[in-house]
Amino acid sequence: MIGRYPDYDVLANAEHWDDATRSVVQARLEPPGPLRFFTVEEEPTLRAFCDVVCAQDAAPRVPVAEMVDDKFASGRLDGYRYANMPRDPETWRHVLRGLDETAAQYHGVESFAACDAQAQESIVTALSNGELRGGAWDELDVSRAWSVCMRAVLAAFYSHPWAWNEIGYGGPAYPQGYMRLGPLSTLEPHERSGATAEDPVRVEQERQS
Amino acid sequence: MIRRLLKGAIGPKDNDSRFLLDVHRRDMPGQDTMARYQDSDEVDLCIVGAGAGGSVLAQRLARRGWRIVIIEAGPFWHPDEDWVSDEAGSHPLYWTQERVIGGEDPIEMGKNNSGRGVGGSMVHYAGYTPRFHPSDFETQTLDGVGADWPISYRDLKPHYEEVERELPVAGQDWPWGDPHSYPFSPHPISGPAQTLWNGALELGIEMRVGPVGIVNGTFGNRPHCIYRGFCLQGCKVNAKASPYVTHLPDAIAHGVEVRADSMAVRVEIDESSGRASGVTYVREAEGGERMQRAKAVAVAGYSIETPRLLLNSTSKRFPHGLGNDDDQVGRYVMVQGAAQTAGRYPDELRMYKGPPPEVSSEQFYETDESRGFARGFSIQTVSPLPIGWAEHVLADGHWGRAMREYMRDYNHWATIGVLNELLPRAENRVTVADDTDAYGMPVARFDYTHGENDKANMEYSTKVITNILKASGAQDILTIHRYAHLVGGARMGTSPENSVVNADHCVWKVPNLYISDGSVCPTQGSANPALTIMALASRLAERLSAAQDIR
Repeated sequence: MIGRYPDYDVLANAEHWDDATRSVVQARLEPPGPLRFFTVEEEPTLRAFCDVVCAQDAAPRVPVAEMVDDKFASGRLDGYRYANMPRDPETWRHVLRGLDETAAQYHGVESFAACDAQAQESIVTALSNGELRGGAWDELDVSRAWSVCMRAVLAAFYSHPWAWNEIGYGGPAYPQGYMRLGPLSTLEPHERSGATAEDPVRVEQERQS
Repeated sequence: MIRRLLKGAIGPKDNDSRFLLDVHRRDMPGQDTMARYQDSDEVDLCIVGAGAGGSVLAQRLARRGWRIVIIEAGPFWHPDEDWVSDEAGSHPLYWTQERVIGGEDPIEMGKNNSGRGVGGSMVHYAGYTPRFHPSDFETQTLDGVGADWPISYRDLKPHYEEVERELPVAGQDWPWGDPHSYPFSPHPISGPAQTLWNGALELGIEMRVGPVGIVNGTFGNRPHCIYRGFCLQGCKVNAKASPYVTHLPDAIAHGVEVRADSMAVRVEIDESSGRASGVTYVREAEGGERMQRAKAVAVAGYSIETPRLLLNSTSKRFPHGLGNDDDQVGRYVMVQGAAQTAGRYPDELRMYKGPPPEVSSEQFYETDESRGFARGFSIQTVSPLPIGWAEHVLADGHWGRAMREYMRDYNHWATIGVLNELLPRAENRVTVADDTDAYGMPVARFDYTHGENDKANMEYSTKVITNILKASGAQDILTIHRYAHLVGGARMGTSPENSVVNADHCVWKVPNLYISDGSVCPTQGSANPALTIMALASRLAERLSAAQDIR
């Protein structure tokens, strides 16, 4: 990963983490196994969706699809289901089917995975705005389905040490603890300052104006 | 003045938990040698739930010689191995069994408001431990909204003070509600909290450090906080208070059995006498129902599971569930509005350091008619970790590339939140759904809908924290609307027509069945509920030990 913290690796501090934490975090670096919950037919669309919503367009990727799959294969639930919605695993299946149906209807390809990047972005934009209708979408509250899917995606992506490196997050700190709380200094010896400090929102606004 | 000089040196008299803990290991001292009762032993009290309410009640009464079994659905933690400094890895701490949510404003359950396992939800609460204000106990009289409690602040005050010594609570002298001071000095605060506090001061809003149930100094064998920022993932340090470190060690040393991995499915009633005779439960590894006999039963499963258990405990005498002859069980469940607003600053603040709870204000807690709604809200600094922060960014409408850009900027942001007092409504209630869980027990359904006063309160408070961010020099602002905490569902009152329990937590018409958790609260104020739940349990223990006939 490139960007704000080019020379930072949170794992360089892993020897100072407690054993339980280290094994949980390092397990995420293992090569992901084959999918167990989602089917071979669902796999391309699952991967394409996870890539688009996390803007992962090249290897190495955080294995978001495998992490979501593992959650449902191991039967881990989040503790609630909307009264007008199926359970989360079924919601995912409906969403993947709906993405394929919408791709076929509006872009004339057999699946969401077969769409070009621009078409995928426009379908996901409509999904995030709760605007998709027909077929699988009519069995869901589309806005809630978006939040169900993204809850699982974000929990996967931002649990990965590569994502922590990208955002400059200091990581686990037991038993070491954090000492530099600011305001004078906020940098522990293992942390790195951002290479730049500009506000990306302002940069984007200036680029567009 | 003398109290001030002794800050950090005063401990509770009748609770040795802090000395029983091991300095080097986090396992519960005494777990291996804990008392074990047979199902056929008629113990003095069987408690359902080893959280804030159940643990304090057990610790108090065990010291008075009661023989007690606590039935707990979740595991007996071994924090060195089971708890991790990691957001995603902390999933097992939450109640993730299925619940159905409905109504116009469904409340998401799970990691945000529901715990499972020995120690309960306080294992993963942030650590804020404010008291309720005296006005919270009579909102109907004072403001014409909510309900009056059958007890007053004065009844709870000595228990607040005792529990504050036991946690112990650290914070500045408290100017709001009933002004009071805390046994431990305030913690040093982080750069982000200082930045937000400066913004508040610009607007004339007073804030104070704390109050938090986090050790500042040492407390028996519990060490000083190390500011690693994982309060919500279970404190591996033993600095943050939860019943696991504050009450259960002493309870076990005085003969309490904590029977973990045991899901209570029914409170049994003797049909001839109408009294509770024990609790039927299923042990996770074994399957099959067992029944622990008891002279009295206290349910402490919190606002969802307590009503669910009562409603599922049907009998000839109580065909609609225990205590539910007047259709009151499960009603008036409350959550607090908990919008959070984040600001972007030029310097790196790194909000993940230090405890998420640092500085708070109760300046807007009481009714001010000029605001256009009854009751109020509190303001508290918070600090989401990466996954929580990603949910903020998504809530503002960003995904894909935009989300990655916002996330890359994580270290430049600081976050402040509110807790709105949302009013109790009869139709905001827990019922049982058609679905059943792994034990064959119908799951809970929780319907929730805001009232107009609630919406006005939330809208106003979001403006206040947004203004604080602007005054503190924030360059950009992100807001997420969310909810926190649970109380109500089996409220205390003056008659069976308006409540589930009386002022002594006893379920109407079942003379030896008690409720000892947040579900008894008729109102919630804008204070985090943990301290009040413990104080209520402490008072209940005092009332029970006075009423000798139960045992």
